[in-house]
Formats: sequence, structure tokens, C-alpha cells
Amino acid sequence: MTTAAKSGTDTELIAHLLRRTGFGATWEELQAAADLGYEGTIDLLFNPGDPESMPSDIIRRYHPDQSITQIAPSSGSVWMYRMSTTKTPFEEKIALFWHRIFATGQTKLIQGKVMLTQIEMFRQFGLGSFRDLLVQLSQNPAMILWLDNQDNHKDNINENYGREILELFAMGVGNYSEEDIKECSRAFTGWTIANMPYMSIRMRNNTLRPYGYVAWQYKFDPEDHDEGEKTFLGETGNFNGDDIIDIICKNPATARFIARHLYHHFIADELPVPQWPFEGPKDPEAIELMVDAYFANNYSIGAMLRAVFESDMFKSEATQYARIKSPVELVVGTLRLAGGFDWPTADIFKATAACGFMGQALLAPVSVEGWMGGDDWISTGSMVQRINFASATVGDPTKKGIKSIIDQISDRHPRGLVTPKALVDECLELLGSLRVEDDTKEGIVTYAMEQGDIDPRTDDGAGKIVSVLQLIVSTREYQLV
Amino acid sequence: MATETGSKLGLEYRDTNGFGAAQGGRGYYLPVDLAVRSDGRIYVLSRGDAVQGGNGIKITDINHNWFEEISSRGTAPGQFISATAIAFDANDRLFMADEALHRITIFDADHNYESHWGSEGSGDGEFDGPSGIAFDSDGNLLVVDDKNQRIQRYTPDGRYLNSFGSIGDGNGEFSFPWGVTVAPDGVIYVADWRNDRIQRFTHEGNFIDACGTTGHGAGQFNRPANVAVDDDGNIFVADWGNQRVQAFDKDWNFQTSIRGAGELSKWAAEYIDANVDEKQARSTFDPYPELDVDDPHEVSARTEPYFWDPVSIALYDATRILILETGRHRFQVYEKV
Repeated sequence: MTTAAKSGTDTELIAHLLRRTGFGATWEELQAAADLGYEGTIDLLFNPGDPESMPSDIIRRYHPDQSITQIAPSSGSVWMYRMSTTKTPFEEKIALFWHRIFATGQTKLIQGKVMLTQIEMFRQFGLGSFRDLLVQLSQNPAMILWLDNQDNHKDNINENYGREILELFAMGVGNYSEEDIKECSRAFTGWTIANMPYMSIRMRNNTLRPYGYVAWQYKFDPEDHDEGEKTFLGETGNFNGDDIIDIICKNPATARFIARHLYHHFIADELPVPQWPFEGPKDPEAIELMVDAYFANNYSIGAMLRAVFESDMFKSEATQYARIKSPVELVVGTLRLAGGFDWPTADIFKATAACGFMGQALLAPVSVEGWMGGDDWISTGSMVQRINFASATVGDPTKKGIKSIIDQISDRHPRGLVTPKALVDECLELLGSLRVEDDTKEGIVTYAMEQGDIDPRTDDGAGKIVSVLQLIVSTREYQLV
Repeated sequence: MATETGSKLGLEYRDTNGFGAAQGGRGYYLPVDLAVRSDGRIYVLSRGDAVQGGNGIKITDINHNWFEEISSRGTAPGQFISATAIAFDANDRLFMADEALHRITIFDADHNYESHWGSEGSGDGEFDGPSGIAFDSDGNLLVVDDKNQRIQRYTPDGRYLNSFGSIGDGNGEFSFPWGVTVAPDGVIYVADWRNDRIQRFTHEGNFIDACGTTGHGAGQFNRPANVAVDDDGNIFVADWGNQRVQAFDKDWNFQTSIRGAGELSKWAAEYIDANVDEKQARSTFDPYPELDVDDPHEVSARTEPYFWDPVSIALYDATRILILETGRHRFQVYEKV
């Protein structure tokens, strides 16, 4: 990539940071961040203020279905509102990260309320100590029923959660034995939910009768907990689930496993997780950087990420635009560029559904392994969906974000005439300091030249600006982050 | 058991009517309003959703008899997209507001579609999200014009008469008002939703007084949705965000607050009896589990007997009131004691 928008280097780096830690930035957001500088922007990311997203009472009044969240389109849309209107998108990016790793789905759980409670837990604990997060996860009702820990009894263990916390959530295949799985499962016996028999059978029967779903409450049942001695990863004692998590968290394999996930989500696309036991990480130095931060900061996820964001590796040319946007990143990022939502609207369902059409239905991961990401996001069908959604969204000049871009170009050219090359450069800049390949840019300029010089103060000029924006969001580069 | 505080008026739980009927049929789905006809039949406005359905006006009575349902989702005459309220006129004609279609629809006493009127806008006779509706003491219809922050008054055939209110938090001003009711003495009560208060107006629309501040205590509100007033002047407020109903006397003296005590309705019990596996599992069901949250919405989500989004209140007779919950697809019956 050799063609840069005309913003300075620091602005481009901040744009890169905000694409990775959020959903990209509008030109206005980028200018505000540039005033803080790169380091100052990192400080703000880790000390966010109020999200100021669309208030929940407003959503609940005008979308009663989103107060109750019985069905996936409703619960997914609650999160879509949050992501597309929040002023603290890093929280949502972290929640998305853990949603992808600790993949839990409404498809099995049926009700959305417990899913949204889990997502809120990811917001609260997602950047803190991995130990605290794992405790919260193990006591999370959605996870308990997702992996059947309500059926994990002291006299008859169910290994599902005990296996997955080791294999999928914390350590990865090859770092524990089958015996460790059994002992781990024994330690989590009695970690269940209140009214388990009734709640469990209603989930199995997929029924909201008689009075809608009753959201689940975590409960520890000491009568059903195995108090016997256990041997886990070489240590022996009367371990409860908390003790098991302590042992997991101090194991170097855990730090490496989580670091590789963070790399995949925040730095560059990695191999699919099932290949990790056989193929080393793409960038071992980046993994070691995060592992060191993990152990030096009480297993802090935030410290691992801060180390990444401050590193030369993260700022390097090779890291920028090295990942394929997930469908949620593409949809939310485009909505935010276009101005988000000011008020509840039926359009929210279209946005939520669009993520599903592109292969990432919110709160419904495709399997317990979550979404693989990377090249998996792209297919002939998904590309059509991605381009159609992005093009249609920026194609509306009445949207406040698009109107702002038109106004900016107009303000910069008080005499009216904008050349095709200037128009393309300014559109790239105003779309968040976006970079494209030389030949891509050449194609867009060629298209703009067919329109000739434009007057952005006119409806015709505004329409031509919009058409260039639509072309830019249809490029290969717009699919990258 | 209802939670009671105060010393004068009390409310005792008597019954539950309802059943989650997302696919239609006997029961309700996301109900938002209810009204009692002159013959005692109870009409429940089941707003439903765009995916599962459950949209319509469902008709029952105090003894759980099920009659029929009218209207459905759509934009054709007699249908609705996002219905918000229903009310009967003196001739048992049924009026329905729709905040998506910005119109008022009228059904005759035999449930036949009669007419509709209204359009989107902010001028006289136009709506931006009609919400609560109620008939004043002259038989004209008051319409809460939610996002225009005002109350409009119309003749029953849709001729605009006048309006009062504007955006703000001063006397007579509104912040996204929701429900409206007219007391037996003609005084107009408006649930001034985002100002967390109830305002009273004369028949002409002149401000009388207001009650409520933001909070969780007695006499405080969190997004009140609706009001009912009985012949003695007692005031019942659906304190939607606090997931409770508060009662006051005519001078706003706090009387009692209830959190809900719903049980299996007749229809719900029939369902449970017919499904042996669920019946067996429910035999150990503790309706009031120990919780680790205190947000009222979350508490209600986890506690089946409690009100979940109590949205509307109707007087049934001299002693009983009906409290409708959107979240649990039912209404609970309370008796004044």
C-alpha cells in the first residue's frame, strides 16, 4: 500500500488504533483524538467515560420486544444499538472479542436476556484480570446452560464445561490431560442456577409459556459439590472451581493461548484455532510481549493490549490493514460513519440481520469454537452482502454522517469546484483517513473524472460525492481493518 | 403476596389473567394497554412483534373466558404496526392509537372497522407518535402526541379541537409523555414519562399540580407509563421503570406500593397440566430465588410473580384494578382494602 490520504502520520496511526479498538472513526472523532495524540488516545481508551449510547429506557419503550429480548433479532438489536451509538466503542470491541472466544448462543439457550447479561459481564470484566473473568464466566448462567454444567453432579460428572474451559477458553489442546478434564469438572460440580430443573426443561422444550422466559440466576449448591481431593495439572487439594482457575491462570500455556487470540483479533489474522497445536504463532515476539505483560500485571488483559498498542509492531506498516473486517465490524463501522441512530427505528433490525447474512449473527455463533474469522468471512455471497450494505448505507445523503462529509468538502471549496483527484483524496480522508492501493485509487479517480469537476454546494455535487463514497466502501481495502 | 406499605389504602392480590401467546390464540404477547367495556369484557392490546406475531386486540373477562381477537399487524384499515393504546367511548366504540402509522383507528361496538384518521407531522391535527388516549368528560378524545410533547383533543370523528403542552420540565411541559387518563371529576392526568412525574390538568388543559421526582422511594418515579383514578380520587401509577405500582390519595399522599404477586392463571395452569415434564419440574420451582442483582428490570426478569414492565392500569369495578405487564403477557387483579 503506497497511497496515503493526506493526513499526517500520527493521524493515520490514530486512525489505525481506532479501527482496531473500535469501529473506525469519523473525521470529527479523528480530529478530537489527534488533539490528544497517540498516547493520549490510548489513555482515553483505558479510562473511558460514559458510553452515552442510546438510553435503554428509550429503546425499551419504543421496542417492547427489546425490553424482554425473547427472540434473537430483539436481543441482537439491543447490542447493535449500543455498538452503533456508544462513545466508548473499545468496550464493545472487547465484548465482541470475548463473545467470539467464549462463544455462547441464543440458538440453544433460547432467551436473549441471559445472553445480554453475559455481554454486559464482558464489558465489565473483559479488560481486567483473566482470573476474575474466568470466575465470572464459570458463574455465568448462560455459560452454565450452554455447556451443561447444570448436569455436572458430584456423583455423576458432566465434562462439557470442564473440557471447554481448558480446550477452548483458556489453554488450548495439548496442555492438559483427559484426567485433568475430569478433575476440573469435579471442581465445578454444584455451580448451577436457581430452579435448575424447571429452567432447564423449558430451555429444552423451547417454550416461552406460560409467562415468557424467566432469566437465570447463578447458584452454588454445596450439596452437589464434590468436596473430595483432586489432582489437576500436577497440583493436589480439595479444589473448588476458583482454585482450578488459579492453577489455569498461572500456567504459561494460558498466557500464550490468550495472547494468540488477542493477536488474531487486534493485530492480524491468525490460523484457525484448531491448527494452533500444530503451527506456531505468526509473530512469536508479539506473543511474548503480551505474555510478559500478562504475568507482570496480575493476568491483566488490558495490560496485554496496552503493551501491543504501544509497540512498534502494532504501529508498523505491515500490521495496518492486516485483518479482514468481521461482519459486525463492517456493519457497525459503516453505520457509525453514516451517523448511527438518533432514535429507535425499524432499521435496527435490518442492520442486525445484515450481520447474519454476512456470516456473523450476533449472539448466535456458529459453534462452540465461535467464528474462525480471517478468510472465512469472505465468500461470493458475503461479499455481495457486504458491498450492498455499505454502499446503501453511505448512499443516503440525508444521514448526518454523510451530510457532514458533504458539508466538509463544501466548506473547503467555497468557490465550488472540486477536481476529481481532490474529491477522491478528501473522501478517503473524511472516511477516517482511509488508505487504498494505487490501482484502486486510480480506478476511483477514473470514475470521478467521468463526472468531471463538481460543485459540492449543489444537490448534483452532493450526489456525485455520495457516489464516490459508495465506490470507496465497495473496495477491497474497505473490507480490511 | 403483595408488598404493602402505608396505612390507608391497601392493594391485595386476587388473580392473574394471561398466557404468553406469541403465535396468536388465547393469551397475549407484549401487551401494552387494556380497557374494560361497559359490559365488563376486558380488551387487551397485544402489540406483538414483527417476527413472531401475537398482534391484535384480545378479548377476555374477569372469569378467564376467552372470546375473540380483532385487528392484526399491517397497514391496511383496521390493522396496526405499533399500537400504543385503546379506549372506549360512551357508545362502546373502540379507539386505537398507532405510533408507527400516526393514526387513530375506530371499531364499532361489533368490532367492525369504522374509520381511521391522523397523519405524521407537527401541525394541528398531526401526530408524531400518538401514545396514550382517553375520553374527556365531554366525550372528546385526548391523544398524547408523544414526540410533539403535547396533548391534543379531537372530536370522536377526528376533528381537531385544541392542544396543550410543549417540551420541557416546567409546569405544563412534557418530556415524552406516555399515558393519559381522565378522572371521574374530569381532571386530566398525564404520565410525564421522562420527567418522572404525573401532571394534573383541568378539563380545559390548565396545569393544576404535579407529583413525583426521579428515584426509587415512595412518591418517586422511574419513567411512569400510565395512571388510573377511582371514584374516591385514589391514584394508581404504573411506575414502569421501578417495576411497581404506587397508590396515592387525591392529595398525593402515598398509600402503598406493590411489586406484583402473579400466579399461574387458569390458562397457564391448563398448559402446565397438559405438559407433564414441565409440571413435574415446576413442582420444585421457587418463584422468589435469592438474587445477586438489584436493578428492578433485572429483578423482574428473574422473578416470575413480579411485575415486568407494568405498563397500564384499568379500573374494573369499585373495588378491583387490573395491572397489565408487557413482559409477562398477563394482567394481575388487585382489590382495594
